[in-house]
Amino acid sequence: MLHPSITLGPAQRDTRVPKTVQEQCGHFLLCLLAGSQPGCHSGPGCSEGDKHLTPSSLLRIGQLSNVDLNEDIHELETELPRQRPNEIPHNEKLLSLKYESLDYDSSENQLFLEEERRINHAAFRTVEIKRWVICAMIGILTGLVACFIDIVVENLAGLKYRVVKDNIDKFTAKGGLSFSLLLWATLNASVVMVGSVIVAFIEPVAAGSGIPQIKCYLNGVKIPHVVRLKTLVIKVCGVILSVVGGLAVGKEGPMIHSGSVIAAGISQGRSTSLKRDFKIFEYFRRDTEKRDFVSAGAAAGVSAAFGAPVGGVLFSLEEGASFWNQFLTWRIFFASMISTFTLNSVLSVYHGNAWDLSSPGLINFGRFDSEKMGYTIQEIPIFIFMGVVGGILGALFNALNYWLTMFRIRYIHRPCLQVLEAMLVAAVTATVGFVMIYCSRDCQPIQGSSVAYPLQLFCADGEYNSMATAFFNTPEKSVVNLFHDPPGSYNPMTLGMFTLMYFFLACWTYGLTVSAGVFIPSLLIGAAWGRLFGISLSYLTKGSIWADPGKYALMGAAAQLGGIVRMTLSLTVIMMEATGNVTYGFPIMLVLMTAKIVGDYFVEGLYDMHIQLQSVPFLHWEAPVTSHSLTAREVMSTPVTCLRRIERVGTVVDILSDTSSNHNGFPVVESNPGTTQVAGLRGLILRSQLIVLLKHKVFVERTNLNLVQRRLKLKDFRDAYPRFPPIQSIHVSQDERECMIDLSEFMNPSPYTVPQEASLPRVFKLFRALGLRHLVVVDNRNEVVGMVTRKDLARYRLGKEGLEELSLAQT
Amino acid sequence: WRRAVEPGLPAICPTEPECRSLLAAFAEDSAALTGCLGRRARPVRLCQGCHGPYRRLLAQYGTIARAVGNSSESHNCAKSILTSDRLQIVVTLSEFFNETWEAANCANCLKNNSEGLSNSTEEFLNLFNKSLTCFEHNLQGQTVDLSPNNYTEVCKNCNETYTKLNDLYNHLQRMIRQGGESGQPAHLCIDVEDAMNITRKLWSRTFNCSLPCSDTVPVIAVSSFILFLPIVFYLSSFLHSKQKKRILILPKRIQSNASLVNIQEKYS
Repeated sequence: MLHPSITLGPAQRDTRVPKTVQEQCGHFLLCLLAGSQPGCHSGPGCSEGDKHLTPSSLLRIGQLSNVDLNEDIHELETELPRQRPNEIPHNEKLLSLKYESLDYDSSENQLFLEEERRINHAAFRTVEIKRWVICAMIGILTGLVACFIDIVVENLAGLKYRVVKDNIDKFTAKGGLSFSLLLWATLNASVVMVGSVIVAFIEPVAAGSGIPQIKCYLNGVKIPHVVRLKTLVIKVCGVILSVVGGLAVGKEGPMIHSGSVIAAGISQGRSTSLKRDFKIFEYFRRDTEKRDFVSAGAAAGVSAAFGAPVGGVLFSLEEGASFWNQFLTWRIFFASMISTFTLNSVLSVYHGNAWDLSSPGLINFGRFDSEKMGYTIQEIPIFIFMGVVGGILGALFNALNYWLTMFRIRYIHRPCLQVLEAMLVAAVTATVGFVMIYCSRDCQPIQGSSVAYPLQLFCADGEYNSMATAFFNTPEKSVVNLFHDPPGSYNPMTLGMFTLMYFFLACWTYGLTVSAGVFIPSLLIGAAWGRLFGISLSYLTKGSIWADPGKYALMGAAAQLGGIVRMTLSLTVIMMEATGNVTYGFPIMLVLMTAKIVGDYFVEGLYDMHIQLQSVPFLHWEAPVTSHSLTAREVMSTPVTCLRRIERVGTVVDILSDTSSNHNGFPVVESNPGTTQVAGLRGLILRSQLIVLLKHKVFVERTNLNLVQRRLKLKDFRDAYPRFPPIQSIHVSQDERECMIDLSEFMNPSPYTVPQEASLPRVFKLFRALGLRHLVVVDNRNEVVGMVTRKDLARYRLGKEGLEELSLAQT
Repeated sequence: WRRAVEPGLPAICPTEPECRSLLAAFAEDSAALTGCLGRRARPVRLCQGCHGPYRRLLAQYGTIARAVGNSSESHNCAKSILTSDRLQIVVTLSEFFNETWEAANCANCLKNNSEGLSNSTEEFLNLFNKSLTCFEHNLQGQTVDLSPNNYTEVCKNCNETYTKLNDLYNHLQRMIRQGGESGQPAHLCIDVEDAMNITRKLWSRTFNCSLPCSDTVPVIAVSSFILFLPIVFYLSSFLHSKQKKRILILPKRIQSNASLVNIQEKYS
């Protein structure tokens, strides 16, 4: 009503507002506003809440802030929680308060400038060399972790399948196969139980593939605990257990998370979990540098998982890093290269043919012989059709998973229930597999030892059950079998049933409280229907197109994966590198593009969907297209809690310990403006900096009395990074509360600001491109009017009916 | 006959007589080996019967390859026989034999010096012959009865031998797999594999002896019990678990309702 762009007269407003309220009753915020402030729509007649919203009161806040700002703020803030807490069930249109931003924009205060000036040219060169060393270490460690996972999974899964196979063989002759079923289900459930317990009770952030979390981190959202050593340990153990437990999962996605944690750990030269500080790489102890290394770690993870160094770099480029430069790309590429090389050489030694560097990734799609399996122009429409199928199936997968995840968030939030659910899924997966194998009459002759665990069951001697190659195996091996088994190894019925069952199992499994990825299950579903497609094609055309089912299995896998995760360039390159075949480059690109276009028509990608369901304030590449009518004035939060340049300690402590407003950045204004001078913006100071100041008791009085032994250095701030102590742990005595604190040396004297009239896309661009955390909105006299943070921007989203606004919620 | 073969090159022809004799010997050996392989193709008895000719051929090829002697460059037999033309028929032949031998995995059945079959193979073949005799013996009784679909006699009487044979085969296969380097699929030699295949086919296809007992009812019971569990779980958690509520926080904003109205007007 006060906004200049609103031109409605009072009469019109009266007719329209109730209608809007009715229409929007699904929109909680508006309902709430309408309910709690019934008079507000009708103009300046309403009292209290509205008082602060009139322009004059706004001005008054600006003026008051130099006189008695804190009390005014206090008054404002206590009013808001007084309204009854409005509880709603979890939905997708929320932003959680739990998530904070990362400080990508380094605070350019005096200490920082002094330090940067001290570092000469040669020292900068050492810093650069250190970066390369760190990238090499990231690569090596990521590769080693991947090797560890691979070897342990191979051995444990081998053990499990041998035990079950022996049992089945024994009972096939004598009868009593239900015991084998029970054994298999129990083994699966108990292994998964361990995997799920450690995730649910020790580190819930290690659940899932970790790709959404890393995407958020690289986007600039601080997900609590996401790059801790504990998370890495849980993640690695969790992945091993869930793959061994026979769930429909893969171990490739979690490698990306593992690589990122390794990168974040190494680049800091210390571990807060282990309380060890190696006193190295201190220069890199800030969010900007850490983010660069995390993107290198993510790339190294992809590269170790798929043997795709270029794909890894592109993954980081596409999914994560909002801020990019050529040197960083090159360094990331170095980390990826080292990672795949490490994995390759260690695994070659493990497999007994040392230094035969021909298995570069955790999953190896095997060699596609391009001479035998070329493609012709007639097949291009077929590939496009497969892409369409992949897109539709992917969208279906995502839609089902969406409902399931919503149900899980709402009802299955207790850790014990989550563990129970994971166990049930494991048992059911085993049961489904067993029943499928039991019912299948598809027997194939054993050819040498190409099948790892041939189950004979009801087949004739010397033959094995072909359904068992798909179900009775780790998913990675099944994918490779589907790609490379000679034509005729599976009959269409087997493949059809397998696709159907595995589709639902994989969809059900993703989102459980276990750490596991979705890449391999997607590939497996796709490979199964792709192979089925290839077989039926050659059957329908009476063999006029000589179709190798393996080729169509590959295209199906690409289509399905593309339809589910919707990655573009990076996925293409990953698939190409994993197949090691450039000839298939074009069909794979075609299939992935079609799958993405078709899938995006229905629902968004799996990772984006999960990010949204977690209520993360994720900033996309651009502001919503129809948001030009919004200005900074409407977007910003106001009023702002400001600090004076020389502030009373007690005030600072009170502001910091106010639980109702957990602000992180505070604009610093001039402390004693004269009559001619207004309280203009002087700088910006962060909560973490204030806490360090309070901890070291850098007060004006103490400095004057020479009580402070030394000047505070940037190192003191870095040592506290990234886990600054909470304000409650800092003791400030009653006397000290009366002291003054001088912020001018520590605040960032040149914060980014925008005028009130700036449009949302403009604010968004500035915010996103620079990776800001706080953007101060000022008026034409440089007085603080409001503050734009990540949540203010992430609220606006393009929904089905145009622009919609998300509500903030406590989660 | 030399003249008939090379009418125009009597003296200039660089192929020395000793080279010609080497070539002739190689031709004879390869003919012998080819004959041997062909005759023993079905049922496969390659490794048992042809290891002698194969060894001779190898030796012959070795002689040719080593036949550098002390003769001068132009009189080098190895060079003139093996590498002087595009076709290189001797090399191709010898490669073909080697590849066949490798593909048959004959080395796995022969003694280390490849003179004769290894002990385990002998044992296996004995057992194999024994079971075949057993089959034959019991079948003769059957044919008198004229009931070709009823082979219960065979199944009962030969079960012991067959199980022994099967176990031995599995044992041998395991040995081979452990011995061979991992990664590459290790096979037993084709003779043993084929013998086992024939027996198994007879046993389970022709005689229909390996009838596993199918216990469908308990399997269905157990699996439907397990499949039923998730339904119970989800229903009970839906009914009994408290739905997680989110507490809405009001943003501090200038007339957020007004801006919403604004949005509504323009875009809905």
